[in-house]
Parts: sequence; structure tokens; C-alpha cells
Amino acid sequence: MKYLSPEQLAPFFASLEATHEVRLPILLPDGTRTLGHPSDGPLALQGGPLPGKPTAAFFPHEGGVFTAAAETVSTPPAPEKPLLVAGFTPRDLACLRFIDRFFADGWRDDIYFRRRQGAVIVGASGYCGPGGSLIPCADGECDLELVADCARWLVVPYTNAGEAIVGGLPDAAPDGALERIREESAALADVNEVLILRASELIRADRVPDTFWAEIGDRCIACTGCNLACPTCTCFGVQDWRYAERVERSRMWDSCQLDGFMREASGHNPLGTEALRTRRRIHHKLAADPERWGKISCFVCGRCDTVCPTGIGIFAVARELVERFGSVGGKAGSPCP
Amino acid sequence: MSPQTTHMTEASLYLPVNCEIVAVIDLTPHEKLFRLRLVDGRPLGHLPGQFVQVSLLGWGEAPLSVASSPTRDGYFEMGVRRAGTLTAAMHELKAGDVIGIRGPFGRPFELPKLRGQDLLLISGGCGLAPMRSLIQYCEDRPEEFGSLTILYGAKSPADTLFKDDLAAWEASARFACSRTVDRITEGDCYSGGVGLVTALIPPLEIDPGRTVAVLVGPPVMYRAVVEELRKKGLDSDRIVVSLERHMRCGVGKCGHCTIEHLYCCQDGPVFWLNEIELLKGAL
Amino acid sequence: MNHTLTVCPYCGTGCMFYLVSDGGRLVGVEPSVTHPVSRAGLCVKGWNAFAFVHHPDRLTTPLIRRDGELRPASWDEALGLVVERLRDIQGKHGANSIMFASSAKATNEENYLLMKLARGVFGTNNIDHCARLCHSSTVVGLAETFGSGAMTNSIDCIDQAKVILVIGSNTTEQHPLIGSRILKAARSGARLIVADNRRIRLARHADLHLRHRNGSDVALLNGMMQVIIAEGLEDREFIDSRCENYPALAAAVADWTPERAAAVTGLDPEDIVAAARLFATAKTAMIVYSMGITQHSHGVDNVRCCAALAMLTGNLGRPGTGVNPLRGQNNVQGGCDMGALPDVLTGYQKVADPAVREKFARAWGVDGLPEQPGLPLTRAMDAAAEGLLKGMFILGENPILSDPDQGHARRALESLDFLAVQDIFLTETAQLAHVVLPAACFAEKEGTFTNTERRVQRVRKAVEPPGEARADWEIICALAERAGYGGMRYPDPSAVMDEIASLTPIYGGIGYDRLDPHGLQWPCPDRGHPGTPILHVGRFTRGQGRFSPVDYRPPSELPDDDYPFVLTTGRTYFHWHTGTMTRRTHLLDREERRSFVEINPDDAARLGVRERDQVVVTSRRGEVRTQARVTEMVVPGVVFMPFHFAEGAANALTNNVLDPESSIPEFKVCAVRVRRAP
Repeated sequence: MKYLSPEQLAPFFASLEATHEVRLPILLPDGTRTLGHPSDGPLALQGGPLPGKPTAAFFPHEGGVFTAAAETVSTPPAPEKPLLVAGFTPRDLACLRFIDRFFADGWRDDIYFRRRQGAVIVGASGYCGPGGSLIPCADGECDLELVADCARWLVVPYTNAGEAIVGGLPDAAPDGALERIREESAALADVNEVLILRASELIRADRVPDTFWAEIGDRCIACTGCNLACPTCTCFGVQDWRYAERVERSRMWDSCQLDGFMREASGHNPLGTEALRTRRRIHHKLAADPERWGKISCFVCGRCDTVCPTGIGIFAVARELVERFGSVGGKAGSPCP
Repeated sequence: MSPQTTHMTEASLYLPVNCEIVAVIDLTPHEKLFRLRLVDGRPLGHLPGQFVQVSLLGWGEAPLSVASSPTRDGYFEMGVRRAGTLTAAMHELKAGDVIGIRGPFGRPFELPKLRGQDLLLISGGCGLAPMRSLIQYCEDRPEEFGSLTILYGAKSPADTLFKDDLAAWEASARFACSRTVDRITEGDCYSGGVGLVTALIPPLEIDPGRTVAVLVGPPVMYRAVVEELRKKGLDSDRIVVSLERHMRCGVGKCGHCTIEHLYCCQDGPVFWLNEIELLKGAL
Repeated sequence: MNHTLTVCPYCGTGCMFYLVSDGGRLVGVEPSVTHPVSRAGLCVKGWNAFAFVHHPDRLTTPLIRRDGELRPASWDEALGLVVERLRDIQGKHGANSIMFASSAKATNEENYLLMKLARGVFGTNNIDHCARLCHSSTVVGLAETFGSGAMTNSIDCIDQAKVILVIGSNTTEQHPLIGSRILKAARSGARLIVADNRRIRLARHADLHLRHRNGSDVALLNGMMQVIIAEGLEDREFIDSRCENYPALAAAVADWTPERAAAVTGLDPEDIVAAARLFATAKTAMIVYSMGITQHSHGVDNVRCCAALAMLTGNLGRPGTGVNPLRGQNNVQGGCDMGALPDVLTGYQKVADPAVREKFARAWGVDGLPEQPGLPLTRAMDAAAEGLLKGMFILGENPILSDPDQGHARRALESLDFLAVQDIFLTETAQLAHVVLPAACFAEKEGTFTNTERRVQRVRKAVEPPGEARADWEIICALAERAGYGGMRYPDPSAVMDEIASLTPIYGGIGYDRLDPHGLQWPCPDRGHPGTPILHVGRFTRGQGRFSPVDYRPPSELPDDDYPFVLTTGRTYFHWHTGTMTRRTHLLDREERRSFVEINPDDAARLGVRERDQVVVTSRRGEVRTQARVTEMVVPGVVFMPFHFAEGAANALTNNVLDPESSIPEFKVCAVRVRRAP
């Protein structure tokens, strides 16, 4: 077993910059945490999930598709060094796995994989949640996991890439801390997870009337924050900018909460009402994606609830939905088998 | 544990290839037919019912269906209505200009399942453009199908697409072709029927056991036409629809064309009715 | 990858976010999680605020009109020409023959500097900015009644209000992060009264939705006050101890029975009574208003009534109360604070006061400052059209689209001997200029904006300006230098703020070192002062609060047989004003691509107009073609148009009639007719 003290953590990541483009949780001046370079601010691995989606390291808010000049067309270059992105909670890792599969399925999205390919993923778990609370261990799904245990981090590599970057750290005798945290992780129950499962059941059983979505839609100001904060939201828009000597085509995060998202040039709009759009936001995660991918694509990270100015993130909606439609003929609040 | 990928492109998935405009033909005051060929001389390699992402540098991309059959060598065609900014820009182009395309994409009409069947080819408005790719295919491979009936409804005589083609199909012994317009105004040179395309269905004699109906048209058309077809005994597994959505990528990534769990650009645009009729917002 | 904490450039809410940049290019936005206003959220414009910055249409070089066309020029030529022409005009026609239009989009420091340039260097009080078009009536009305023309309370107070009266503000669309707070408050038990005849989103959550006639606010508010007094619901103690002139108010509203008010407003008398009781009996009741109150030929009267209602019920000087005008632009509060107004210097110190002039003249090292108040922007446009004003310098405004009666605005600008425009894009207004100066945008410079709750916050540079573009403050200083004035040499905007603080009591304690992370609310008189979240605690700024009773005056142009509809104008959620930034932002542009007019289904049916039909809207001043949006959002007899769009411009129709006291135009009411386009 290898360990890192909190003081060793920053130098450890700094040492990886020779071989990797390192992105890790940093603390910004007003207390906001984000993914940044080690030199951009103090390391902030403690604190739980970052407010922004860590998958943005591979699928950024806005990024180039290609640049066309007189006779040449160029695509954005791959990073000079492979990315190393730290700070994924186990839920974030589940999100990453989901969108990895999404971007690879069928046609392979080369723009995504240009950054994603070869990237080293570092998870963060253990007692590093908000206020020092416990984040369950991921036990895989990443190259390397850093598990917080009181005054130190347990270093748990899962892949060759993970082994390689921690190879230089000294070995120490294991003292059972990892096993203890794993046990404590297993004992954790998440009410929101239960809620999301139950809401999914109800939606898939067609127990939620359209009027419910209209009511929630009345409370939506279409800020699009829920989509932009969601690690499994992958929708994008495309724009062309015409400069004198070149055209730049880029793509940016888009939102199904916007009326223009599906509106066609003819004016026809399959998502033409607030109720339909609100339904889509929840339904897509809890019913459509399970149908297509065999998995609910809300991994209960809570970002949309944090970012929503009017209190209708997916937990809030699921709670209201389960309270109102979950009691008749079903076992309200019980997880699906 | 690398996720499975079925399609890889050599360059970027999102890089268009160049296409030369061979000819531009006015169809209506709002629609033009573009005849194109790939600059590198390859055939497009499409099947009837597929679409391409047309790329105009500076204007972006738009999904446009191919209006010609792959049985016609050396070129492909698209009927383009001036609707948004890209199509407006496209209408300014002329023979010799070069545009970009990506594709062909999407699920085509399922020819193996159509072979040997009587086909009822029903289209409305600019739906005739994608339908034409199938009609031309039938025209070129008549031996593969049973009876071929074309029904077409346009807003007005002036809005009627492919007038020459329609005339030819009407004259052809291989097709039974009926068309109609919603309304005529005085002075229109027009001899066909007036009314909705749905009105053309009741008089038809249909053997529901060996007929497949193919529908392409504006969203308002589907429900009414399906209702008439049901009266003729056609089940949902004998009705094919092609749906229009504003795909931004064509490859199942951008999310703009989803119908519940389906991606119209990959799982469609051609669907058997029974695959989508219960999905909210599909029709 | 860098993260730069800055303030949103759109509305006056003042949300802060991080601009994310990579290799000198903006690639996204992340909300500030700890910001007291935005609280980890943003609206759709904020989320997309980075997206126009590198647009290919950005101005990258100065332009000079030669042979009728704007052609690239050097900074040296352009700056020289601006100073030479303005000086020349002043030489021929006097100091007041030129006008400076400052910008509520620019920073405090830049507004201060342009004000200093106009007064100290060019010797004219002809300086104003677009506050004239949005809240000049607030400044006049609240200064008279309370002694301070700003939002009395803080946005946080919404959480403590038991009753919220929203009148003339489509808050969820125009101040989305304030609107969402109101929406949340209503969901957690606060009672909500919405007085607005459009069915705005907040109306869907209101206990009472009063769809009163456009421009009948005085009747509604007088009616409510009559009920309150008649039923003995007024706050006697507050009135007696804190206010003056109450008998005059009581007398003025005595006749405004619910029935009379109902006759004018078109409401049910019982709804007026219910609103009055709800408001007056709440422990804490808050008034939130915006352009629906201010943009009338009787805008100041509307404001006086709001002030009176709050005083009458003792809803001032406490958390959860107050008269809360929501300022439109990101820095329209600051533009006013900085004295980009014709009658006051910074902090509302009057130019008419010799001691004030003396103080500024000494600090600026000039011989004296002009004494006569200058021209308000709207009056300046009239003067230009009449040939009385000869030169204009416009910083970051687009009057061709934003001013009433577009034909008039165009004639006015075309009549000028010289027009210089400093902006980030070649706006419709810049296209008419003789010289165009390319400016840096919010993401490319340092400074401060002051939000609607008087919070002075830091704007920070994330990326370099494009081409040769320069920050507005640098350009203004360069102009001063050209004009031979040596008193505008600053190492950075922080030094400008130090000068502002030294001259401005309400900003006395403001300094960049004190503004991290989320600013200070003025008044902040000294460096030890923590800022002031709530005004008028224990005492009004002017001493006693003054009741200013008013009588109802109808809008100046009402519908008749020829022009049977009321046209009211405003904005949409997705666009900002004249669309220079939002129409160049892909997602926002996609949402609303073109001009439209909202029309009630009954009216539409009568006119044979269907959804998305092209219609022609005509007023006595102009005619535009636009697209019909058939909706219950508007009541029968009223149509609504946003003013963002150059093609189908609402302001081709509006009425250039001004409130006599504040010179604000009556954007909210004019008469039009509507027909299907041929």
C-alpha cells in the first residue's frame, strides 16, 4: 500500500506535469472549486463533487470542430501530452463510463476521443466529501483512486497507467484502512438514489400525467444550467464563424430545455412546449436512456439540483413525483429489484 | 474494456467532403433541385431514404434527404426548400460551385422487406423529395415489386414538386399515380384533383396482406393518412414512415433528433410505424 | 486554462461567474458557487456570456469615414480627428453644441472618465446615458420621496418578504436570478401579487394577478392606498415618525375608491381591495418594479405612488420590505452613480451646487466647471434633429434601435456635423458615424460594475481585446491627452476608483482591495464601513420620507378608430436590448431569430391572422413587418413587441413623448393598427 500526506499531494501532481497535462480540483478566490492546472490555485481534492462536470475536460463547453482556410482544413490538435484528470467521485466515474460508451457507440466521436484517448483518470473518495463526509470507494472504474482517510490519502491504482504514475512512491505496510473504508462505504445508503430509482419506475410505468410536467415547467426559467452541469448530458449545437480568411466550425453544450433545440426551419417543433421539454429532461435520464442503454443515466451526482435557480433539479422533481404518484399500487420509496 | 465502435472514419467524423454542383433546377418558387457529384468521383453510396449533412462553410450544416436513386449513376440529387439561413444561402449557388457533405446517414427504406410487395407511396409537400429516391429505384428495378401506386398532395399547383417526374409517372404503365392540391387559385394551369392527399386513399383497391404503404410528408399528414390506411386493413407493421428532424450531426451524438430513446438520424429517419407509434412526440 | 472571476455583462442583477479561458481564448463559463445573488446558478444569457467575445464581427481597428465609407485608420488619426472635430464644433457653436452619451454597459471607471472628459475637458454638462430610457423616472421619483434614487433593499430581502408586489417587471425573463428568487419565495409561502397585463411566468404563481390597463398604474396604486386608509390599515406610527406631507396624500387618494380605480384600470374593484389588504396587512411587504412603471409619460408619478404605498404601510428600512426598482443594465446603477447624467456629478452631487463644482474643479485641476445642467439624451436627440446640437460622442449605445421613434433618431444622428461612436461591434448607430473607435468588451478589461442592489463588484480581464481594440477607459484617457488635458493619466482602473472614492461620499470606502470576492454595497462612506444592504434604516436619506401625491394622467396616445391597438414594447429572455451581443451568440440567436408581435387569439381571429403569419404593424410614426405570435400572454386590444430586432424594429413605431420631469420616453404605450401582410 502507498500513502500520500496532504502536503505530498500537490508536489505529487506537480511531478506528473512532465508527462501529463494535469487537471485537478483547485480552489478559486471566492471559494468555488473547479478543475484547473496545478498552478492555477491551491489543490482542493477535499469537498466532494466539483460544481462543474469533470467530464468537461474531454467534452468542453465550447470547442473546435475544424478550421477551414483557403485550401486547408484542420481539426483541433490532440493535447501534446495525455490528460490526467483528478477528482472524479465514484458517481462521476459512472457518468464518465456512460458518456465514453455513448461517444464510442456507432460512429466514434473523434473530437471527444482526441482528448479522452490515453487520459489518466484519478478518482477521489473516502473522507473527502463536503465537511469531511464519506464518499464511497469506487473500487475501479479509474486508473488510480485516492482514498481520503483522516490525515492521509490511500493510493489505490487499478490499471497499468495508474501503477505507472505511482510507481515512484514508497510502499508501506497496509494497515487495513482501505478495507475499513470499503466496509463503511458499503453500509452507506443514499436516499436520492432510492428516489431516482423509484421515479424511474413510475415514469416507465406511465404513472406520471402530462399535467405534472406542465406544472414543473411553469417553474423553469430555461436557464439550461441543469443540462450544462450534468455529466451525462452530451447534446451539442454547432456554429460557423466566418472570419476574413477562415471559417471556424465549433460545437458547444446545448440544452433540450430550449425551444429552439428541436425546432425545425418549418416551425414544426417536436419539443414545442415547456411541459414536453421538462418531461424530456427527466424522462430522458430515467426512461429513455434505460431503454436504449440499459441504464438510468442519472448517477445521482446532485449537480442539477445545486445549479437550478428555482429548485427543480432532478432530485426535487423525483421527490415530488414519488410523493404524488408513488403511493397507489406500488411500494413508495422502495428500490426496484 | 474500450467501448464498441462500429464506424470509424479516416479523418474526422465531422469533416465534410467536397461535392460539385452539376446543375440547379427550379422546382417551385421556393424549391430547387440540386444535382451533385462527389469531387473525387466516387459514388455517394446511399440507399433510398437516406440523408446527408450538407455543409456550407460559414452557414453550418443541415440534414437534407437524397432525392435520387442510387441506381442513377454518376450523380445524386437533393430537393431543397428555402427555409432557414443555410438553405437560403444554398439557393444562391449555381452549377460549378462546391459544397460539403457528410454521409449518407440514417436507416434507408428497407428494400428487402419491400421486395415483392405492392407499394403505396404516399407523400405530401416536400416529402416527395425523399420519396423520389424510392420511386426512381422502383422505376429502375420494376421487376422487384408488385403494383406501384404513387399518391402526392401539394399545397397548390405552384407548390407541386417534380412536375415533370409526376407527368412521367402518370404516363408510365408501371405506376398508378394520383395527385392533388389543397387549393387552386384562378388562372392556375392545373388539371388534377383538389383536396387532401387522404382523399385519394378510399377509392384504392388494396390487398392488405401484400401491401406496404410508405409515407413521407409534413407532420400533420401522418395521422390522417394512417387513419385512412387502417380502414383499408393495413397494420402498423405494413406502414413505413420517414420522419423529419433537425439533425445537427447525423451520427447520433448531438441529441437534437431524439424521439424518446431513438435517434432519428441513426435509428431512422425511416421507421416502421409499429416501432414509433407509441412514442410521445414521434408523429 | 484560467478562471477569471467577473460580473455578467447583461442585466443589473449582477451575477458573478468565472470566465474559463484556454490559450487566450474563452471556452466557457462557470458560476460562482458562493456569490450572494446568483448562488451557484446563472440564467441562459449568463451561461452563454462568453460566446460572443471572439465573434468575427468584432471591431479590430479604428474606422474613419472617407468618401462616404468607413475605412480602417490608425489610432493616431482617429483620436486626432475626434478631438479636432469636437473642438471645432464647440469653437463655432459653443460648448454645449456637443453631447456625450455614456454607457450603462461600460464600467464605473469609464463612466466617470467620460463624465470627466465632458465636463472637465470639453466644458459641457451635456452627458447622459441610457438610464434616461429606463430608470430616469426612478431617480427623480425616489430622490424626491426618499432622498436616494436606488433600490432600497437587497436581493436577499426577497427571502424575508411575506408579500411581494411585482408591478411592471417580467422578472423571471429580465432579471432571471431575481425572478427565480421571487418564484421560490412564492413556492415557500410568500404571497405574490403580480400587476402586469401580460401573463408573465410569475403570474402563474401569483395569489393575485392584476391585468390592469397599460399606463393605469397610478389609478391602481391610488386605489389600493384609498382602501388602506379607508380601512385603517396604514402604519400610523411609521407615517407619524418617519414621513411628511401625509395629509396631502390622504386627501389626494380619498376619491380613488375601488370602483373609480376599477373603471380606469379595467380591473374588478374586489381585486383592488384584495391586493390592498394583502399588501397592507403583511408583516413585511416588498415592491418590485421595473420598466412597466418607469417608461411612461407619467413615469415619475408611477414611482411616487410606489414610494407612497411603501411608506403608507411602513415597509421601508427593514429586511423583506422596500421599494425595489430593478435596474436594467449591468451597470446602469453605476452609470448614474458616476454622474453620467446632465445634472449631477458622482454620487448625485448637483452641478448646480457651487461647492460641488469647486471641489471637482480643484481635484481635476481645471479652472471651473459648467453650471447649467446639460441635455438629457432624449432631449439631445430632439436638439440634434432641430440642428441645435452639432456633434455627438456615443460610447457603447445604439440609439437607432433603442430610442423611441426610429425615424426621428435616425434623422437626429444624420443631422449631426460629427458623430463618433465607440463600441465593440459596428452597430446600426456606428454605421452612421464619422469615426468609429474599437473597444474592448467586458471580458477584456478591468473595472467595476454596480448592480441593482448597489453592489460594486470587480470586472476582470480574462483575454486580450481583438486586434487594435482598446479598453474604453484607455481610449477616453487618450482623448483627454489629445485634447491637451494632463489630468487623466492612470496606471490602471483601480487608480480611477481611488479618485472616484475621494470625490464621492457614497463611494468613499470603495477600493479594489476591498472588493474581493463579491463587492460592497454603497453607501460605503469610509474604508472601515461594511457597506449598506438596506437604505433608510431609522431615517430616510433626505430625513423624513415625503409623500408626493399625484393624480392619474392617461398615456399620451390612446387607441382610436384608426389605431385601435395599444402597443407595448419590451425585451425577451434570450436577447439583450439591441442584440449586438446576443444575436451573435449561437444559442440565444437560435431561440429568437426574428422580430415578432404578440397578439391575443381573439384579436388574431378577428383579423384573420394565424400563428407565424406575417403582419404589418403601423403607428403614426412608422410601419414594420413582423411575425405574429398568437398568444394569451397579451390581453385583447394590446399587442407586444420586443425592441431587439433591426429588421421589424419596435422603435420604428413608438412614441417619442417624454415624461416632463425625467425625460423618459413612453415606450410602454402607443397606438397601432395591425393587419395581415399582403
